[in-house]
Amino acid sequence: MNAITLHRSLNYKKTLYKLVIAMIATCMTAQAAFAGARLVTPNDMTAGSLLLKSSEAGKYIAAPAVASDYTVNISGPTSRTVVTQQFYNPSESWVEGVYVFPLPDNSAVDTLKIVSGTRVIVGEVKEKQEAKVIYEEAKNKGEAAALLEQDRPNMFTNSLANIGPHEKILVQIEYQQTIAQSSGTYDLRLPLVVAPRYNPAPIVQTVDFGASKNGLATTKNEAPQPPVLNPAEVAPTNPVSITVNLDAGFALGEVKSAYHKVDIVEKGANVRVVTLSGVVPADKDFDLTWTAAGTAPQAGLFKETVNGHDYMLGFVTPPVVATNNTAHPREITFVIDNSGSMEGTSMPQAKDSLLYGLAQLTPADRFNVIRFDDTMDNLFGSAVQADADHIAQAKSFVTGLKANGGTEMLAPMKAALVDASPNDKTYLRQIVFITDGAIGNEQELFDAIAKGRGRTRVFMVGIGSAPNSYLMTRAAELGRGTFTQIGEGTQVTSKMKDLFGKIGNPVITDVHAQIFGSTAKITPEQLPDLYRGEPVMLMADSGSLSGVLKITGMIGDQPWEVKLPLADAAQGKGISKLWARRKIAELEVASTLGQITQAEADKVVLKTALDHQIVSSLTSLVAVDHSPKRPAGYVLTRADVPLNLPSGWVWESVFGNDSPSQNVLHTDQKAEAEFLQLAKFDPAKSPAPATQVNLPQGATDAELMAIMGFILAMLAMALQFFARRKAVLA
Amino acid sequence: MSSVFTTMTPARLSRRGFLNTISALLMLASLTFFGHSVWIFAKAQLAQVLLERAFTQSILTGKPVRAWSWADTTPVARIKIERIGAEAIVLKGSSGEAMAFGPALVNETSRPGTRGTSVMAAHRDTHFSFLKNVKIGDLIEVTRDDGLVFNYHATNMRVVDWNKSGIDAHEAGFHLVLATCFPFDAITHGPQRYVVEAEMVK
Repeated sequence: MNAITLHRSLNYKKTLYKLVIAMIATCMTAQAAFAGARLVTPNDMTAGSLLLKSSEAGKYIAAPAVASDYTVNISGPTSRTVVTQQFYNPSESWVEGVYVFPLPDNSAVDTLKIVSGTRVIVGEVKEKQEAKVIYEEAKNKGEAAALLEQDRPNMFTNSLANIGPHEKILVQIEYQQTIAQSSGTYDLRLPLVVAPRYNPAPIVQTVDFGASKNGLATTKNEAPQPPVLNPAEVAPTNPVSITVNLDAGFALGEVKSAYHKVDIVEKGANVRVVTLSGVVPADKDFDLTWTAAGTAPQAGLFKETVNGHDYMLGFVTPPVVATNNTAHPREITFVIDNSGSMEGTSMPQAKDSLLYGLAQLTPADRFNVIRFDDTMDNLFGSAVQADADHIAQAKSFVTGLKANGGTEMLAPMKAALVDASPNDKTYLRQIVFITDGAIGNEQELFDAIAKGRGRTRVFMVGIGSAPNSYLMTRAAELGRGTFTQIGEGTQVTSKMKDLFGKIGNPVITDVHAQIFGSTAKITPEQLPDLYRGEPVMLMADSGSLSGVLKITGMIGDQPWEVKLPLADAAQGKGISKLWARRKIAELEVASTLGQITQAEADKVVLKTALDHQIVSSLTSLVAVDHSPKRPAGYVLTRADVPLNLPSGWVWESVFGNDSPSQNVLHTDQKAEAEFLQLAKFDPAKSPAPATQVNLPQGATDAELMAIMGFILAMLAMALQFFARRKAVLA
Repeated sequence: MSSVFTTMTPARLSRRGFLNTISALLMLASLTFFGHSVWIFAKAQLAQVLLERAFTQSILTGKPVRAWSWADTTPVARIKIERIGAEAIVLKGSSGEAMAFGPALVNETSRPGTRGTSVMAAHRDTHFSFLKNVKIGDLIEVTRDDGLVFNYHATNMRVVDWNKSGIDAHEAGFHLVLATCFPFDAITHGPQRYVVEAEMVK
């Protein structure tokens, strides 16, 4: 090869390389354009076939829908969740979307963002009233604004103002939560739908106004009730996708989703990525449990320093010591909810649970059964001996129960709390309360328990696909019992067995925690008794945490003690928020128990929530996008996002036969089309927006792909030829 | 000099290996593109078969039926142009997803048979490849998902920019617009659209 050919071949090569690079670049751009085009996948589950009654008589508006994505990042005993809610307005009007949705009852909500195009507007925690004012002002100015308010610790309302016709807006909410653990099983529960609640008719005022307690303030606000879709008439709406990034902190054993089909991908011994198989409608709780492959850690300490102040989360699982629970005979009052909301799959589960409980009684025990809807029956009037006759009578009574009517829970709770012999030490007095908790007057029930609990312990059994976990958890806390959740018929036996294993004596009593070596405050101040398998869970805060955490208690007659050096605490993100959330719950309980006044509690709740920037009964998150949106002259209509009826519920039993669909009017498509047309030509209405139709992209990439493929193939062959020729030349 | 090149030096060998690798990679990329291309056409064809079935079901049951369980859209109409033997099932919503499977009734436009303008759009290289053959006066038969049939005749064809169509979804009267990309033989996407306008036959 002479110099000239060499030079030519180099030139050749340069050109060739350039060509190859150019080709690849072109292909990649085409590929990117293709991917971009595919990304636009509007959520067509929102069929837009729903019309809501608007404030104007005889006028309707197409109901907005919300698609939600949950990304849960679990790290040991805590998790952080990002909820992305996509609001879609299928109507021709400007709409204020109002979405009522649940979150876990121990969640510390600290972040709200509006994602508008490429901009992200981050919200701030403000005092409830102030946040409302900011929101209303933005709303009236036609700006996009979001307001996240707490209705109950497990029930929130997200209002989104000024969603344009056919517009989609993303709202992101983030919260921190502790993971529940019991008997070596860790449990993440993600409620997805707020069940329709029964708000009792106003009761006759029985409060003694002489007393200084003004706890009634909280009972006045009824739980909001958005329209609920009748599954017989409308396809489920509000689709949900879930991803859980589970990092347990220990080698994982079984990872299981109780009610949803999931895909689980293993990423090392400690880590799993759990995704929902497909998209599901928001109509029942998502429940993920996991266990350790070997022994789960018995204790954990996590710490976070915020603004020079230390916060700590600690847990210890006490040793299992054989105790003789049968030594004490029991006096159990079973209370069963047979209200309309229990119709469907819930009622058989409730009955089976109660029948299981009856079967556990021994002749030495005493018992009673109370059933309630908006009426109640007290089977024996007071506790009777659990002999064969009485048991048979009770069984037949329970078997015959039918779900119907409203949910008046207060009277049966009060009746069950009535203790004929409060000083009788022979019997352990317990209430097993079986319900779905679909009520809006939680506080009244809490007050009743706080006032009447005496020596009685209250065990809540939550039934159904979307029980009110706030009611269950708080009632069990006030009643010093536990909360058992039964979501499916197949779980009745195992869960009730677990409950009756616990129900005897609390395994550990007189639990106290103290920190030696630094001045720290433990939250909660009064630690609850522990039942079998339960860990001591506590939080603490101090200017600077150091020294030793000492927990003491009594296992039966034996003293128990454990010491944890605080220096060993691992860093944990978000611990301060969890501390604040726990602190607020403690204050609420203290005020319910009458240990502090409502005003005192409110003061500290507000300060804690503002200091730690979390949503509470007194604080809300508000975000405003100040760029103008809705043009002047266009009216804004409020529209509640309709909710699914929880899975397994029966429409008629909740809403009756006469109300085909509350205030949702489901029309056939023909009528709807007609209606929309009529609305357009209604001269009284504000002028319809300019309606020039934009035409979508009208070509696939198939040809382009084929041509690219062809060019690349030719290039490949040319290269081959070139390489060979050189070989031959040589 | 020739003796130098009778045996291949390692450097030369590796250069050849490099060219071979590039060549193999290009071939692989080429196959990917071909595969994608075939997939687009196959999907478009298969979907129409399934949609035809779902549409018949829709008419019989009076309820929207999904053609396959994960379909994010439902068939809303069938269009037929007898003269050129064209037929297609029209889907609800003009997302990119829907248009991979069939012509789509553009959001916010009228339901066929109702007042205003129904706009149906599809890709010029799949479901609306026949659009260039439509002539003024052609009869376009639209069967709705409730079984009602409406006849339109083509009155006009024009080329417009996608965002300057001048089509009013709420115009008085009963109109139908079929739209696709223009020019028909372009390879890349452009802003132009070809529209066939039609009026309902009373």
